Amino acid sequence: MSTTPQGIHSLAFRVMRLCNPSFPVDPPFRVDPADLFFGEDMFDDPLLASNLSPLLSTHLSKSTDSSDMSFADRYLLHHPSDAMGFSGLLLLPQSFGAIYLGETFCSYISINNSSSFEVKDIIIKAEIQTERERILLLDTTKSPVGSIRAGGHYHFIVEHDVKELGAYTMVCTALYNDGGERKYLPQFFKFVVANPLSVRTKVRTVKETTYLEACIENQTKSNLYVDQVEFEPAPHWSVTILKADGLLHPADSLTAGEIVKPPILVRSGGGIHNYLYQIKLSSSGSEQVKSKRSNILGKLQITWRTNLGEPGRLQTQQILGIPWSCQEMELQVLEIPSLINLDSPFSLHLKLTNHTEREMGPFEVWLTQNSANEEKFVMINGLQTMVVSQVEAFGSTDFYLNLIATKLGVQRISGIMVFDTIEKRTFDPLPDVEIESNNEAKSKIIANLACVWSVQRRSFDIFYITCGWPPFSSDDPELCHYLLRRG
Amino acid sequence: MADPSATSDPLTNQFGSLNDLAHDLASLQDLAMLGSWRSILDKVSRARSLGLLSKPHDHLIYLSYNVLALTKLRRFTDASSDLDSLHDFNSHHYKYESYPQLYPSRSGSMVPFSLRFIHAQLPFNLGNRQEGLDRFYLLLSFIRRKIEEKGSNSLQESAKIWRKRENLVLHCLIGHHLGAKEFNVCLDLIRDLIDHDYLDPILISKLGYIQMQIGDIEGAKGSFHRVETMLNQGKNEGYSSLSEVEFRNLVNRNKALVYLVGKDYVSAVREYEECIERDHTDVVAVNNKALCLMYLRDLSDSIKVLENSLERVPTVALNETLVINLCKFEILCFLVCPMKLSCLWWFIQWRSLANYFGFAVG
Repeated sequence: MSTTPQGIHSLAFRVMRLCNPSFPVDPPFRVDPADLFFGEDMFDDPLLASNLSPLLSTHLSKSTDSSDMSFADRYLLHHPSDAMGFSGLLLLPQSFGAIYLGETFCSYISINNSSSFEVKDIIIKAEIQTERERILLLDTTKSPVGSIRAGGHYHFIVEHDVKELGAYTMVCTALYNDGGERKYLPQFFKFVVANPLSVRTKVRTVKETTYLEACIENQTKSNLYVDQVEFEPAPHWSVTILKADGLLHPADSLTAGEIVKPPILVRSGGGIHNYLYQIKLSSSGSEQVKSKRSNILGKLQITWRTNLGEPGRLQTQQILGIPWSCQEMELQVLEIPSLINLDSPFSLHLKLTNHTEREMGPFEVWLTQNSANEEKFVMINGLQTMVVSQVEAFGSTDFYLNLIATKLGVQRISGIMVFDTIEKRTFDPLPDVEIESNNEAKSKIIANLACVWSVQRRSFDIFYITCGWPPFSSDDPELCHYLLRRG
Repeated sequence: MADPSATSDPLTNQFGSLNDLAHDLASLQDLAMLGSWRSILDKVSRARSLGLLSKPHDHLIYLSYNVLALTKLRRFTDASSDLDSLHDFNSHHYKYESYPQLYPSRSGSMVPFSLRFIHAQLPFNLGNRQEGLDRFYLLLSFIRRKIEEKGSNSLQESAKIWRKRENLVLHCLIGHHLGAKEFNVCLDLIRDLIDHDYLDPILISKLGYIQMQIGDIEGAKGSFHRVETMLNQGKNEGYSSLSEVEFRNLVNRNKALVYLVGKDYVSAVREYEECIERDHTDVVAVNNKALCLMYLRDLSDSIKVLENSLERVPTVALNETLVINLCKFEILCFLVCPMKLSCLWWFIQWRSLANYFGFAVG
């Protein structure tokens, strides 16, 4: 849309947005002579078929004769694929269309002298104006146009990478001499830039690995061919894209040089495509790095193509992971025995890690006593306090806690306390651990612990994965209770 | 051997001319080749009223031309009514064996296949796309049953023609799905054709155009490379019977598209010029070259290229796409006022250019 100024100007601008052309499609009413001259089952008779073939080829060759000035091509099929109505002719875009963030705005600008005399000393400028900035696209001051004869015209093509949403105005101006008078012609062309995609992310962390799920939604009016979606990790992180296996499209098994690999085409107006990334610390040994890392995971870089390969590119903002809490001392369970029997001592293998820059310890480790609302059935077997030596900066040490369970079934080990004897500080770094104590007479139950950080609560959720189950009798009250608890 | 009796089978004799197939068919055909659709309507109407059509197959062939002419004149509702007068294509009324006196020892359907094709195509022009698709898919199963039937009865020539019809319907379907931007369906249909060894270089090129349209440039390059390999290996299966010139031009045009998409318009123009040098009626090369010239800011040359082709080969060059492009160039060059073009735009919209412009240009 242009707002033409008042007053009489010799010059005028016309602009046309230059996006890629397209292939028009229109299946035509065109026939094969064999489908028109006689009945469809005519060729059942081989004698007839041989009689008719020369007649048909005469008429087909007439239609393909390029010196023939008839309208045969609009009536007869020249080649079978003519029926598709898609010849490879390119058509210029019929309207301005929609323009999206990340695309390149390209425009043809034509300036015409509609007066009957020459126009001189012309300076032409084209500028893009948005809410935030003004960008000069064209300025002929340095390479002057000079003059335009009566009825003459000049052409330019300008380009601008669209990086801002909202309203844009392209201002074309011409400063010129019109029979001694210096005139100024501004013309304004407005358009709006919309957002082509929305990207939603979800982050989950399992132990040392963070998973990022990204969902890309197409908000444009046309299908988007997704060229590339790349996750650029922040420093010290490495990323692997995870794809579903075993879902190969048959075309994937075509040999090299074969064609028709199914494209990732996201349909218009709300179609989505999902990506899953696995993100890990690349320098795994460095405790220093671990303690300093922020929760910035990285950015998604998305490139797509629309009509005839028209490219677009966007980058998301930094995607954040779960905030890393800076624990000074971390206690981890390394191993729990697979079989824990009632009233029999067992060892809990623990590792104490120092995430600070200075040496810490020595430490004392104990279990807290029974509290009013909780009776404990797992306790330290032997000396109630264990001494653990100093741990150097960013170092770790492992030790065994000798425990005993005094009740059958699933029991908690809770309240493992770590006390720094020098700094006189207590760390409470290990949430409850569940174990299962069995009657020794029963056969083995193999238990695995899986710990998952919950995104919302940041606490351990612990569940068992149990393989195998012993024969049991329903008159064992402890076992029944356990089974009921397990639901 | 001609049967001397009065009820001799009119279709067993040698066919020297079209008139042996149906009453005055040669004249109908000539009119169609000239695009004289109104004259065809007149001729059919006269033949019917004067009782010149003595045999059932004559009526059917005349009906086919009538319906086709109506579609060409964009009288789709009339065409549909005319077709509906047949009620059921598979009726025994349209079988040779129902008229043993007229067609002794002949059996099968005397319905020209184009009637079934037009019947499936018409709903699209009447705004009922779903009906059209249903009809085409039903037609496709009908054709496939026929192919099986002919195959099991060892009717090889007949099976061959029915396979050609299967191809026609598949191509129509691809076109209709493409028009609705159902690209994945198109790719599946084309893949299906190629998997069944239908290796037509034009089809594979069109696959490339579709891949390009959706933005899969690498896929398109792969398809074009395949076509070029077929040219270099001298492979041109019987499907498309491309001449040497047509094949070479196809390869050049494909190359030009890759340059165009890569914004190397100079190389694209060079490819198209090679095509035009070889065949000045290659209107796709002419049109697309003009577009490239525009991207090179050479709008005056764009206009010249299109106007020249309209003058030299009007019947080939005169198509909606080319004329719309030319109008846009002329508007940009201030050669035409948009308001004065309103009539032209109207004509373009109604696509009756072929009938109204004829040979007059410039």
